[in-house]
Amino acid sequence: MKNNSNKITLTYVLILMFVAVVGHKVVLNYSSNSSSETLHKYYYIEDLVLILFSGIVFKFILFRNDLKNKSVFQKLQVINNEIIESNERYDIVAKATSDTIWDWKIESDSFVWNKGIQGVFGYKKEDVGKTSKWWFDRIHPEDSLKMSVKLYSFLEQKTEKWQDEYRFKCADGTYKYVFDRGFLVKDKDGKPIRMIGAIQDVTKQKEEEQRLRLLETVITQTKDAVMITDIDTTENVIPNIIFVNSAFTDMTGYPAEEVIGKSPVLFFGQKSDILEFDKLKTAIQEYKECFIEMISYKKSGEEFWVNFSMIPVTNKDGEHSHWISIQRDVTEEKEKQKEREQLIRELTQNNKDLKQFSYITSHNLRAPLSNLTGLLNLLDDMTIEDQELKEIINGFTKSTHLLNETINDLVKVVIIKDNPSIQKEKVLIKEVFENVFNQLSFLISLHKPILKIDLEEVTILNINKSYLESIFLNLLTNSIKYRATTRQLRVNISSQVVDDNLILTFKDNGIGIDLERNRDKIFGLYQRFHNHPDSKGLGLYLVKSQVEAMEGTITVVSEVGKGTTFTIIFKNS
Amino acid sequence: MLDKIFCVDDDSITLMLCKKVIERAEFAKEIVTAQNGEEAIQYFHDLAEKQKAGASISYPKLTLLDLNMPIMNGWEFLDTYLQCGYQDLFKEAKFIVLSSTIDPHDVNQTKNYPIVIDFMSKPITKEMMESLKSKHQ
Repeated sequence: MKNNSNKITLTYVLILMFVAVVGHKVVLNYSSNSSSETLHKYYYIEDLVLILFSGIVFKFILFRNDLKNKSVFQKLQVINNEIIESNERYDIVAKATSDTIWDWKIESDSFVWNKGIQGVFGYKKEDVGKTSKWWFDRIHPEDSLKMSVKLYSFLEQKTEKWQDEYRFKCADGTYKYVFDRGFLVKDKDGKPIRMIGAIQDVTKQKEEEQRLRLLETVITQTKDAVMITDIDTTENVIPNIIFVNSAFTDMTGYPAEEVIGKSPVLFFGQKSDILEFDKLKTAIQEYKECFIEMISYKKSGEEFWVNFSMIPVTNKDGEHSHWISIQRDVTEEKEKQKEREQLIRELTQNNKDLKQFSYITSHNLRAPLSNLTGLLNLLDDMTIEDQELKEIINGFTKSTHLLNETINDLVKVVIIKDNPSIQKEKVLIKEVFENVFNQLSFLISLHKPILKIDLEEVTILNINKSYLESIFLNLLTNSIKYRATTRQLRVNISSQVVDDNLILTFKDNGIGIDLERNRDKIFGLYQRFHNHPDSKGLGLYLVKSQVEAMEGTITVVSEVGKGTTFTIIFKNS
Repeated sequence: MLDKIFCVDDDSITLMLCKKVIERAEFAKEIVTAQNGEEAIQYFHDLAEKQKAGASISYPKLTLLDLNMPIMNGWEFLDTYLQCGYQDLFKEAKFIVLSSTIDPHDVNQTKNYPIVIDFMSKPITKEMMESLKSKHQ
């Protein structure tokens, strides 16, 4: 421009000088013989002409300049419009991609961000830095080393395109996963002068990726064998395998390469249950899930029991795309189950045999025993003179009666043990007691015990009447049998309802039981704790069996010389 | 006092006992015995034949029947008796099962036979006979 204006000035001056010289020459020509007055007139006209001419030249020059300016101005206008449009496009693109764009002038380390840094990462305009350091500082410390190494090696190689993934800090301190791509601008020497990049927020994709990887580890790391097949059943009834995990290889001995593309039918063989296989076949045809257990064969030919599930899988369009099978080696469990079943069978048979035995035995014992009793009864009516004979027959009678009672009691025990569910009915306890007192009326009138009955008026239990009667009978008989001869027998019988339970207390002041010695034996079979002639050692055993058959509990507290208290608890349902 | 009573039991001592008790209780005039179900059925068969032939016969109004007998036990006897239709022939003949069994199943089974009017446990006693007299008189 400076050159231009110098040129114009020089041209202007030269033209005018030329005109001045020419004018002077013309005046000299015309004024050789003129007076000084005319000479002045000619000089005056020359000056005027000079000024006029210079004006015309000046206008001409200005006019040309104007034209030039106008065209330049127009060109600038066009360029300006293009720039505006280009900027607009850039802005819209940036908005559409929500990419955050950065522009790094490497020499001057000037770093410029577009609006994305505010929109995506939450920074306020004034907080955004202007150097590359601001950018680097916000890269996650775990990623920054790796990322800068990659970036600088890229810069040195001077290839044009760069991309990387790292975590970038947002304004609130959290990190977002980003995917950054950059383009390098080099000068004519190949030196990198500028780099422009676009950052994409890939947090969601990253999280999805991690989730999928986690789910994948479930399949790859689980101890259950996982097998995936396609759905094509044209070749075999079970479609071909497309994937097996390592647990599958561990279980069957087949590495993945050997089974992919083949049908699982090859795992089943001779001993595999045809019925289970059919179940599987049908389920596959009907696209239904299926759970079977059958014998399968490892690569080595070894048999094992497999728990095999087959579940249809649909893709996101809802179309059936694969089958997933989860398999587990259950050989051990199967073995244990078989053993258990065998044991139960044996035990049940044993039990049945024992029961049968006890019935038969008891019957075979009772038959001759009934004869003995009958014969002895006949003797009652006959008078025997011989004293010795009488004594002998007495002993005979007593022993036979004892034997009879023992067997009867044993029989009762067998019946109780045999019947898991006994007949229950609503029983009024008072009534049962009255019954028992009637049965023992002879004994009661003989020994005249003081009986204190303290039953809550309406005490009804849902139990077996005859068992309850037997229990009271036994306990009362015991109290009378084992009374202290030095004092009057007192028997306290009381009942109490506490929560859901009925508590019966049977207390006497008899000779008591030495619980320290006999605690474990007191309810045992054939256990006697003193020398009383009448005791068989069965009574309490019977009582306990009967109480427990009715789902109750019985406990005893006793002191030698003081007395005994039995506590029976029934559930009042 | 019954005219005739029939005792069926494989045990001879039991039969002897039955006889003695019945005599003492003055329960029946005549006592007939059999040692198993087959003998008993044969007895009734003979009676039936005699009746068919036209003779008037007296049959036992009460039979004490044991369950555990060889050749033919108590249940088999009862089944055969019913099969032959003797309950119609001997309309007043009733049975009492006399047994030393404890199996409650057996006790319940007697309820299936209407001709069995009672179940008694051995040994038979005079008192039992007395109570029978009053119960079924």
